Amino acid sequence: MDNLLQFSPMQSSVDEGFWHRLSSLKLNKLGIDDSPINIFGFYAPCSHSQVSNYLTVLSESLPSELSEASLIPEPSRGNRNRCSVPGILYNTNTVESFHALDKHSLLNKEAAKIWDDILTGKAVEDCSLLSRFLVISFADLKKWTFNYWFAFPALVLKPPATVVNLKPASHWFSVAEAESVSAACNEWRSSKLTADIPFFLVTIDSNSRATVKLLKDWEACRSNAHKILFGFYDPCHLPNNPGWPLRNFLALISARWNLNSVQFFCYRENRGFADMMKSLVGEALITVPQEWKDTMPNVVGWELNKGRKVPRCISLAQSMDPTRLAISAA
Amino acid sequence: MVLSQKLHEAFKGTVERITGPRTVSAFKEKGVLSVSEFVTAGDNLVAKCPTWSWESGEPGKRKPYLPPEKQFLITRNVPCLRRAASVEEEYEAAGGEVLLDDEDNDGWLATHGKPKETKSDEDENLPSMESLEISKNSSIKQIPSYMGPEEEEDIPDMAEFEDPSNVIETDPSTYLVAHEPDDDNILRTRTYDVSITYDKYYQTPRVWLTGYDESRMLLQPELVLEDVSQDHARKTVTIEDHPHLPGKHASIHPCRHGAVMKKIIDVLMSRGVEPEVDKYLFLFLKFMASVIPTIEYDYTMDFDLGSSSN
Repeated sequence: MDNLLQFSPMQSSVDEGFWHRLSSLKLNKLGIDDSPINIFGFYAPCSHSQVSNYLTVLSESLPSELSEASLIPEPSRGNRNRCSVPGILYNTNTVESFHALDKHSLLNKEAAKIWDDILTGKAVEDCSLLSRFLVISFADLKKWTFNYWFAFPALVLKPPATVVNLKPASHWFSVAEAESVSAACNEWRSSKLTADIPFFLVTIDSNSRATVKLLKDWEACRSNAHKILFGFYDPCHLPNNPGWPLRNFLALISARWNLNSVQFFCYRENRGFADMMKSLVGEALITVPQEWKDTMPNVVGWELNKGRKVPRCISLAQSMDPTRLAISAA
Repeated sequence: MVLSQKLHEAFKGTVERITGPRTVSAFKEKGVLSVSEFVTAGDNLVAKCPTWSWESGEPGKRKPYLPPEKQFLITRNVPCLRRAASVEEEYEAAGGEVLLDDEDNDGWLATHGKPKETKSDEDENLPSMESLEISKNSSIKQIPSYMGPEEEEDIPDMAEFEDPSNVIETDPSTYLVAHEPDDDNILRTRTYDVSITYDKYYQTPRVWLTGYDESRMLLQPELVLEDVSQDHARKTVTIEDHPHLPGKHASIHPCRHGAVMKKIIDVLMSRGVEPEVDKYLFLFLKFMASVIPTIEYDYTMDFDLGSSSN
């Protein structure tokens, strides 16, 4: 009996600057307008054996107050420590409306965008569309407290994928292959053109030479490659579980390319360089019924707060409240 | 030392192209950096240790003398597995610290891995950055982040509103780490965002720390002091406005940085190693590791430090 493939959930991290900019946007520009705001976050491959990487939002995640026409922030490209992820923020005006938000339908709405991009092939062209996130929040600007809840929508395979042979990449590859894969990944990560592209193909020829390719090269790769792996930047540090981004990647692979057996490569780093001991390779087995593509799969992804289904709360009165600042400055 | 001569040539050439000679001599004579030397050293750090990157920070706080896209350096999500405060308790029990350089009274402490071992040569002037051997069973108490809903009575307690609508479906493919017990012996991994800014007044780099608890909630800057070598926590670490980011952050005050860097450079030169300005930040970060010994940021060096082990 094969084991169920279990994914470690994505976790959020909010830089203080995000709340500072949201507050000034709210006070100076948005007012009581509570329509959703397009934002973006970023993550990077895990780079330490003890801690996972987080999906981070900071002040640049929000549109600038000054930007006139568009409220859509522009992520800067080419930073290897910032793979951008499109997100959406629902900031309510009252605590009651925060609780009244229909979380189920908001999550489905974001997942529908991912599913649509998979079916149309947009996600193959621009794989940053495979991961999305949403935040619901209530910013109490009288008390400088922020209640919020992140979700990372993941399409659920039914029946769930199972896994065989999940092990460190260094055990899975031959020595020559591991060296070549490391070198190819380091090159991919150091080029400004590809450093922040989090999903990719790794092909290995019969001479153990590895190449990293874009997803859109799939058709060309499948005809001449000796081995093909589906690689992704894995924010997770756990030795026996891949991270969250693999979920929507598997949905794409099975929906577009009809594969039942997928060799996946969880790319992880040590101090910024490819680490084949911490990276994982495994084989996911997917059985997808024919009618699967007609309806959108189920979705999961609300973040737990210390294991509980509750929002998070942060108080920034110490750094934002003008009266407290005046007292501490006196 | 043909290699070091070649490096020296390359170094001189680079520096002469970028800066005037007066600034070059300030690096070796005073241990300080010009703005363009800071950018050169930062570029080299980013190239060798890619977990570091340049950032532009808040547009309103941009310094006109630095390139807009290279305002400061940052490495995020750096693990800190144990509190420096509790490391030192064990460490003092094992022999204590060695105060460096009494005559200048600059108060930097060496954190020698092997207490009792006395060295008479100039090595003592270099804060030793040997990684401390720390036993795994150190008991570290959970320090609550001040942001938790329990702390402020003003905050509506959202925890009461545990969502009845079952938005989080039970999903067999989601791997959830078992609930951590509230046990004082559990190691609490904090993470840090470590940034390096250019301090125009002292003409040196300056390190800033933003701490997060194990669920990545912001730590009160005062709690960051637990991860600073205790002597520095009382003396040289201050909580101030970050020059490029919003909010208050803990910072290692740069008033003695130039003097300490000057000593490190002197030691290198006395060993026949010509210090290169683009390696400045590696030396600087090695020196900072004596102040924040348990924050595991990257400063891997691939050059000859003039090790005395030959």
